[in-house]
Amino acid sequence: MASPEAASLIRRLTRGDHRALGEFYDLYAGLVNGLALRILRDRAEAEDTVQEVFVQVWQQAARFDPSRGTPEAWLCTMARTRALDRLRKRSSRREEPEKSDPGSSEAPRTEEAIAVRKALDSLPGDQRTALELAYYEGLTQTEIAERLREPLGTIKTRIRTAMIRLRGVLGPSS
Amino acid sequence: MNEERLLELVPLAALGALDGEERAAFEAQLASSPPAQRELSAYQELVGRLGLATAPLPPSVALRDLLLRETRPAAPGRAWLAPALAAGLVAALAGLAFFRSERDAALREAAAERAAAQEARETAQKAQAEAAALREILAGEVAFRELVSHPETRVISLAGLAAAPEARARVVWHAGRGEAVLVASGLAPAPAGKAYELWIIAKAAPVPAGVFQVDAQGRVVFRLPTGLELAGVKTFAVTVEPEGGTPAPTGPMVLAGSVS
Repeated sequence: MASPEAASLIRRLTRGDHRALGEFYDLYAGLVNGLALRILRDRAEAEDTVQEVFVQVWQQAARFDPSRGTPEAWLCTMARTRALDRLRKRSSRREEPEKSDPGSSEAPRTEEAIAVRKALDSLPGDQRTALELAYYEGLTQTEIAERLREPLGTIKTRIRTAMIRLRGVLGPSS
Repeated sequence: MNEERLLELVPLAALGALDGEERAAFEAQLASSPPAQRELSAYQELVGRLGLATAPLPPSVALRDLLLRETRPAAPGRAWLAPALAAGLVAALAGLAFFRSERDAALREAAAERAAAQEARETAQKAQAEAAALREILAGEVAFRELVSHPETRVISLAGLAAAPEARARVVWHAGRGEAVLVASGLAPAPAGKAYELWIIAKAAPVPAGVFQVDAQGRVVFRLPTGLELAGVKTFAVTVEPEGGTPAPTGPMVLAGSVS
């Protein structure tokens, strides 16, 4: 479901077309920023992440492999990885994570985004909670078990079950 | 850890939720299980898509410019070199232009000064020449007056001959001091390359007594060279000769007068 526009932009980026970076940014800066902000809950840090991600896009566009996912998924992976790195560096502030989800009430843009949101919403609450702690907060299975005061095996099962379910609902992206 | 167990851990591994010994064991055995590798890729792709569930939010407008500035291609070699060179060249040319204009101004000034100096020199030379001429004339006149006023001074008139019928002249001389002055008028300027030559005739052959030119009005006051033997002089005569003078008269005689 990668848009032809995104594919064309990545080809141009691979050739070092600097104007393509501006267009690519216009297309996806909101997505990257939204995700980084959801993880970091800090506007300045989220924007630093956006900057880092698009610099990486500029430098490593050639590493994008369409067989391994859409440009959106690629960007989200880079954004999440970098945002979680930042989150770990300020571990002292990680004690009391806000449980509010600032983006949850806003409508996603694309068909695929709507499908992902629907798939997440369809998960049982305990599965979704465990999954979100792993995804947005970068917690490991042991940390999640501690946070939720549940046995480690229960948490592992919830997360695995949620992932298998999502995969079944969403299928392969392309 | 058998493969079934390994595959069970793949969804957690894709989220990065594994930790401790389990994580180490998973990573150690992943390389030897192509099915686990394929599963991991599929779940990682799924994890990537999960980010789409988050509502997009545009970052601040300034971020775009910042990104594009930061990533702006450092451009091909020539491009970064060119502005530096251009700047240097502009500076150099500006410097050169300034230098040139300064130098040209200096040269013009120097030339003007040289011209002025030359003019001044010429003026001075002309003035000097005029002064010298005037001094000479004055000296001649003073000498003439002094000569005339002296009791022993004698005067002889010379008459114009056939070649210069209008010419008149007198010679005033003091034999004892060996001084003499010729005052003439009515002489035509000598032809080109020619001059008038004065002769003193005593006993034998004429003795040259100086070469002179007349002015535009045909006049001259000519002071004879000193040291001439004037004691036994019988005749003064003027001939037209080559302007360098000759030891003996060759040309036509224009004036002559005899001591009575």
